[in-house]
Formats: sequence, C-alpha cells, structure tokens
Amino acid sequence: MHLTAAAKALKRSMRELLATLEKKRGLLIAFEGPDGAGKTTQRKLFKTWLKGEGHKVVTSKWNSSELLKSLIKTRKTIHALNPREFCLLHAADYRHRLETEILPALCSGQNVICDRYFFTALARDAARGLDVDWVLKLYTPLLWPDVVFYFSVSAETSSKRVMAERTPHFYEAGQDTTNIEDPQASYRQFMGRIIQQYGALALVFQFVTIDAEMSIYEQHKMIRKLFLEGRRRSWTEFNAESVMDWLATRPEVQLAQE
Amino acid sequence: MPKSKAPGRLIAVEGTRQSDLMEAGAEVLRAADGARTRGGVSVWDASGIFFELSRSTDTAAVPSAKTLLLLYASDLVFRLRWEIQPALNQGLTVVAAPYLQTAFAAGVAAGVPKQWIANLFDFAPRPDATFRTREKDGYAGWTGKRKGGFCEFVCASLGSLSDKVDQAELRARMVAYLDKLERGSQYRTVTPKVLKKVAAR
Repeated sequence: MHLTAAAKALKRSMRELLATLEKKRGLLIAFEGPDGAGKTTQRKLFKTWLKGEGHKVVTSKWNSSELLKSLIKTRKTIHALNPREFCLLHAADYRHRLETEILPALCSGQNVICDRYFFTALARDAARGLDVDWVLKLYTPLLWPDVVFYFSVSAETSSKRVMAERTPHFYEAGQDTTNIEDPQASYRQFMGRIIQQYGALALVFQFVTIDAEMSIYEQHKMIRKLFLEGRRRSWTEFNAESVMDWLATRPEVQLAQE
Repeated sequence: MPKSKAPGRLIAVEGTRQSDLMEAGAEVLRAADGARTRGGVSVWDASGIFFELSRSTDTAAVPSAKTLLLLYASDLVFRLRWEIQPALNQGLTVVAAPYLQTAFAAGVAAGVPKQWIANLFDFAPRPDATFRTREKDGYAGWTGKRKGGFCEFVCASLGSLSDKVDQAELRARMVAYLDKLERGSQYRTVTPKVLKKVAAR
C-alpha cells in the first residue's frame, strides 16, 4: 500500500511537471521527404525566418548524435550493416538525440526543427522490407511533432537533383536491399519504394504536404503561411507518455525544475 | 518468437556478470558437445559497438536504458548474422552467453516496459535451452564497469547519469528478475549436476 501511494504521488508530481512544461515549451517541427526534395534549403530559410521573428530555434539532424554518428558512419562506409542493424542503430541515434537534445531544448522553451524525424525510419526501413509495425514500436512512446512538413517530390525529380551533384552512396541508393550494382539505377528503384511509403505515412499521420516541385520561394511562403495557421499539439493529450517516460529516466531534469 | 529451423542447437546462458557468463558458456558447450567440440560460444559485443562507446568519456552524452537496449539488439543481429546462424545452419551447437533474458533483466531493472523489450527482440530465434549463472561472489564486490558485460555496462552508464541511480540497487533488480524466471522453471542455474544432464541429452 505504501508503495502504491508513493507511486501515485510520483505520477501526480510528474503530471504537474508536464503541465508546467506544456506552458513554456517550444514547438517541435519536422521536415520530411525523400533525398533531393529540398528539405535542408527550406529548413534553413524557415529557421532564419523564425529567428527573425524573435524565436529561439535549434536544429536536430537525422543521424547526428555525438554518441553514434561516427560509429554508424564507419559501418556504412564498409557496408557492414544489414537492414535490421541499420534500422536499430538509427533508432538508437534518434532515441539519444530525443533524450539529450530535442526534449531538453523543447522544455527550455526553444523551438526545435528536425531535419528528418522518425517517419524517415518508417519509410526507409519499410522500403528495406522490415515490418513497419515492428519499426514503429521501436520509437514508442512517440513524441508527436506540432507539425510535419512533407516535401513531396517524384522519384524522377529526386534522382535528377541528387545525381546532378553526386553519385548516391551505397545505403542511400538502397544497394543493400535492391542488389543492383549500378548506384543510380538502384537509387531510382529504392526511391520509388520510399516515396510510396511516404505517401502512405502522409495520409495516416496527416502531414502538411508541400509540393517540392514548386520554386524555392513559393515553398518558403507556403511553409510560413501554414506554420502561422497551425496549432500547437497538446502535450498532455498527445505526448504525456513520451515526456513522462523521458522524465522518469532523467532524474536531473526534475531537479532542475524544482 | 519462433525457434530456428536450422539443424543446430542454440543454448542461451544468461547472467549479470560477464566473467561468469564466459566461464559458464564454455562449460555448457563442453557438456553439450563432449570432447569433440565443434560449435562455439557467442559473446556480447562481437560488433564492437559497446567497446567504442566505452571509449567515450563525455558524461553529458550518457545513453539511456532504451538506447542501450537498441544497441544490444543491433549487436545481437550482428551475432546472429555472423556467428550464431551460420553455425546452426551447419548443425553445430552454439552457446549464446548472454542472449535475450540478460537484456530483459537489465531493461526491466532500469524501468523499461517488458512489452517494449519483447517487441525489440521479436526477430531473435527462441533458444532450444536456457541456463543462467549466479555471481560467485554474491553481492559483495559488485562494481559496474563499462568494460564488463551488458548488465555491468548498463549499471555503469545509468549510474553516471545521475546520483539518484543506485548501481547496487539496479543490479539487485537485475538479479531478482533472473531469480523470478528461475523460480518459474524457465531455466536453471549452471551447476555440475545440470551440466551432466546437458551432456546426457
């Protein structure tokens, strides 16, 4: 009985903490889409604009945690990863960034722009043949962004834009799964699969779709407009489990709030 | 979680301390294969992920239990791909020391939901038999070191995350998890008597 009461009290204090965080937190904005869709360009323009409007903004890029970035890069260079290892290492990288970068920044009132979010993993890992339900559960409890901008582009445009600059890398071209020796041919096939997955995700998760075939300026104007029209997603309603899961594993965060 | 269809035999040995696991793993393999040992023992971190992490001294970037479990799973995929499955396909005996329950023990002790861990390891084949080790020195002398096994690594990592995490308590919860499974007859501790039975099969 004593433990139950203590557990209840802890839960209550966590909920109070969550309500406090909800008031002062920043916004989480995800930029999603295939390679060559122009996400990075738009993310930079959007960040500059937000800063100009007086907001504090930080960026979190896919596969960029200090803990795992070089470890993953090394294994990619030597083509050492199979689809499941690829999936699990990226899930670990996301988890670490979520817990050490994204959530702390949001809780300190900063807006966080994610250049790719867990939807990237769902699209890519499903395109590699992994069960999407299994992959999704690796990312649970999910931290829902306030808005997801999805940059929609055809496989052909994506291929043209990427190949105008460079030859796609082994994993980028999906050569680990297509078994096609030519990276460009493999990329075209793999990108088709990814875009198909993104299409399904955009419907299920209600992405805000941007036509990435439009001019850079037109896209930027639209993002601003849609952002201003958008609403905050209530943490207590959507993200309570995820935030409380994080708070429970980070006792020092509670101390900082006391 | 289905059993592997390969002709070989997969035996899991679980425990909280790496040195005990190494010793018990070799004993179980000898008992299972007799004098003509052709199989092998698959130990953790064959992929070198944790070795690389142990070289990181940045305390600000300490990974959480869930992150460590994801990395353990990645390492296990590596072991299955390069060590375990090829040997099983050849009809050999493989002792995986540690295998799944060690990760469950570490994760559950750190507060990770069991269902989340079960989903994570859904890809791994069910072992034909599972045993466990008990720490020979009892509770005394336990220090979580990142250079030990997975449980030790988790204790050391989470212990350095916050003063609020008591390494000894965390480790006791890991042992308690394995004890509970043993009481439920899901496996037995590796003893000379148990080894004789393994040899007789």
